[in-house]
Amino acid sequence: MTKKARAPLLSKVYTFFIYFLLYLPIAVMILFSFNDSKSMTNFTGFSLRWYKELFVNGKAFEALKYSLIIALLSAIVATLIGTMAAYGIHYMRKKALRRAVTSVTNIPMMNPDIVTGISMLLLFAFIQLILGLQHSLLGFGTLLIAHITFNLPYVILSVLPKLRQMDPSLSEAALDLGCTPVKAFLKVELPAILPGVLSGAVMAFTLSLDDFVISNFTIGNSFQTLPILIYSMTKREVTPDMNAICSIVFVVIFILLLLSNLSGGENRDRSAFSEKLRRHKKGIAIAVAGVLTAVTAGIVVLFLLVPPRTEKVLNVYNWGEYISDGSDDSLDTVKAFEEWYYEEYGERVKVNYTTYASNEDLYNKMSSGAAEYDVIFPSDYMLAKLRDEGYLAPLDYSEIPNYENIYDEFKGLFYDPDERYSVPYTYGVIGLIYNGAKVDEADVTGWELVQNEAYRDKILQIDNPRDAFGIAMYALGIDVNTTDPAEWDRALQFLSDQKPIVQSYVMDEVYNKMESGEAYVAPYYAGDFLFMYENNEDLAFYQPEATNFFIDAMCIPANPTRDDETYLIANRFINYMLSEEPAVANAEMICYASPNRTVVENEEYQEYMADIHEDAMEILYPEDVDFREEYGKYCFRGLDKDTDKYMNGLWDKLKNTTTEEKTDITNYIALGLLVLIVAALVFFAIRKKRRERYYTEKAVAKV
Amino acid sequence: MTPRPKNRRSLAAAPHMVWAILFIVAPLIFVAVYAFRGQNGGFSFENFAALGDYTDAFVRSASYSLIATVICLVIGYPLAYAISLASPKAQRVLIMMVMLPMWINFLIRTYAIMKLLEDTGFVNSVLQKIFGEEVTLHMINTPGAVIFGMVYDYLPYMVLPIFTVLSKIDPKLGEAASDLGCSKIQTLFRVTLPLSVSGVVSGITMVFVPSISTFYISQKLGGGQYLLIGDAIERAFGNPEKYSVGAAMSFVLMLIVLVSTAIMNRFDRDNAKGGVVV
Repeated sequence: MTKKARAPLLSKVYTFFIYFLLYLPIAVMILFSFNDSKSMTNFTGFSLRWYKELFVNGKAFEALKYSLIIALLSAIVATLIGTMAAYGIHYMRKKALRRAVTSVTNIPMMNPDIVTGISMLLLFAFIQLILGLQHSLLGFGTLLIAHITFNLPYVILSVLPKLRQMDPSLSEAALDLGCTPVKAFLKVELPAILPGVLSGAVMAFTLSLDDFVISNFTIGNSFQTLPILIYSMTKREVTPDMNAICSIVFVVIFILLLLSNLSGGENRDRSAFSEKLRRHKKGIAIAVAGVLTAVTAGIVVLFLLVPPRTEKVLNVYNWGEYISDGSDDSLDTVKAFEEWYYEEYGERVKVNYTTYASNEDLYNKMSSGAAEYDVIFPSDYMLAKLRDEGYLAPLDYSEIPNYENIYDEFKGLFYDPDERYSVPYTYGVIGLIYNGAKVDEADVTGWELVQNEAYRDKILQIDNPRDAFGIAMYALGIDVNTTDPAEWDRALQFLSDQKPIVQSYVMDEVYNKMESGEAYVAPYYAGDFLFMYENNEDLAFYQPEATNFFIDAMCIPANPTRDDETYLIANRFINYMLSEEPAVANAEMICYASPNRTVVENEEYQEYMADIHEDAMEILYPEDVDFREEYGKYCFRGLDKDTDKYMNGLWDKLKNTTTEEKTDITNYIALGLLVLIVAALVFFAIRKKRRERYYTEKAVAKV
Repeated sequence: MTPRPKNRRSLAAAPHMVWAILFIVAPLIFVAVYAFRGQNGGFSFENFAALGDYTDAFVRSASYSLIATVICLVIGYPLAYAISLASPKAQRVLIMMVMLPMWINFLIRTYAIMKLLEDTGFVNSVLQKIFGEEVTLHMINTPGAVIFGMVYDYLPYMVLPIFTVLSKIDPKLGEAASDLGCSKIQTLFRVTLPLSVSGVVSGITMVFVPSISTFYISQKLGGGQYLLIGDAIERAFGNPEKYSVGAAMSFVLMLIVLVSTAIMNRFDRDNAKGGVVV
């Protein structure tokens, strides 16, 4: 008897173990959403600050609002079209047609999401091309279309079986008794298939709410749904308010599932359920109406919570973590601008502030026309490229009197010799950030550190071709603006040699990884070092002799459809950012060197920086370095098209090729598994055949 | 008066058919168009030739997703079986708990795993508290972490269809088998397993397809070192100049998926639709 008792115990232990694994990450996340500090490893104390930040920030709610609207609209439309389609398919006489329709319907379900997403992107891109539109179609409409499309098969598939279960004579009888097909549908079929319709609608709603992959390709840049926001948040430095969002989502879903399970229709006998439904038609109608009103009311409330859109929208596209945003009691410069503008000019302006992670991302967005921006912050070499390709509009310097705050050193440089297109925002150098507690000072002698075996898997590399190749070239003593492919190949060799010991290729994730001690060495910007140093005092900075000197500047993209007033506002925005208060706030927040004299000469600013790191001012504004001279020697310039293409090709090669040392055994494991599977299948097939033969022979023998 | 021709009712499907042609068929045609369009606009295979650079990514995606699918099956089948042995009430709770993580966005789940597996992450900090400061289990940024992420994210897709099929098997069959002298193990392998093939098949498809096409998981858990084909596609579509190559990659991916699902469906003799629940 012991045997019988043991099996369930084993299965219980097993079940428990799997559930434990399944819920561990989620539990940890919820736990640390209440953490007092930023850490995800040490629980320093209970606090609700990340939840508070979420509410104050308001971004999450705006995204949630859009998610709900899209989910609701797409669910309604998909349910309508889908129910009709199921009805039509059910009564199709021609088998071939029915088959064709159902298999086309199933495509979005069978296809990988990413293929569905890009196929729609291509469709919209093509339409844009045909219509000769300057700007991408991507936006609310395209997102809605995409969501309806992938929702349709789920609705149809949940309605069709209900139609099949239905007694066909019922609707025949209704028709015979003089009902029109529409009336018969409403009186006979609809009540019978209602459970299917409802569950289809619910499924469509949740799928749409949850979708990220397809949305990612069809949403454009004008707004964000919750999953898209989460994606952009995890791409940048991840702050614990992420944990807070996720915990809220989890708890809401948990409660919803619990409720639906307690009321428990789903799992009971289906026919009994629909019988019940039919009997309580009125009640259900009321319930559905109730839910719909509740959701609508929820949306309305969200609309009220989030201030409504005002007349003028200014689209500002900046680097991640590159402005003073109001966190930690700093000045929210964007909000301050909106208020200042209202006071100054009596008009409400809404700044739509979005971020990018690299110059290349910015360029891709600009060149695809995927979004319209009014102010951007490219680095020097990208600025030159954008200017050469006609993507920039000249500034109206008469609206930017604060331009005089900029030191002359930073004016008229190669990317904008006639001072027509840009106003410098920040400048700085790339250097080596390293963890002083883990890295031996003796090893910190120059760029060689990024190839030091001793720090295998603890080294980060910048995840964009220009900077990564730049580091290799400074290390090898090659001119970073060379057009000689052989030189680029040498740089590639440097990076390929380095790849096996690189932990990961990062942009803004660098903050997390360095601050937490996950990585020890990272080439990155001096300003970011100070930013990280605030959170981890073990970090140190080393500036190699030859290194990248850069300037990031504010520009206005060319856009023929932009009205004059928006252009004016964009200029005033730039001017505002140059005035003392916001400029100091920005400089204090992002810790990069400022070309603005009202910042550098501001005593409060100097003290603030010294508070962060005693050498902060020296690191940012080294006295013995003639910026203009070093800049002329080492800055990135725009590459010609061929070189640019060559570099990008090499970069793709680097990223996609497995280096020898990292050739993973997984390929062999997979191959082994494949062989095993095939062998097993062949074995079973042969055995089956043999058995069949055996039995037929036996049968024949019997006869 | 002639009776109304009844197949007018099939017209109700017309809006859907128009929609499907516009937004399902047409986009796929564009994938093919972009994939086969050369630089000078004519028909060409040059985009497919360019895929040579991505061989590693394709191979990696295929092997990772195959391994992940097998692990999901090995873990998921016993779990589904164990759940099907529980009392109906417990079954409902257990299934709900399998589904619950599915409703949480996979970005969040992946991110949570990342935070768990990092060298300075939760698991290591617990280990260090138990075994001392020196212990670090290096997990993140390895192929294993990427595969773990796939298994974790898609395990429910394996458990649910198998459970659905298992719960529909008539318990009398098992009783009959044991009456005829089968041991429990024998019953499992001779009766239950063959009867649940349709669930296994749809489980495999439902895990394999998202695993092979995933992006993001390897970005977060593989540190950008083990790019999968999904990541390559995403990158390509960040740059309009590379749409064609991206389309070619998608085209190949679609073929791989189609062929593998077609092969899988061959094993599902009953061609039962039973598998897909939720």
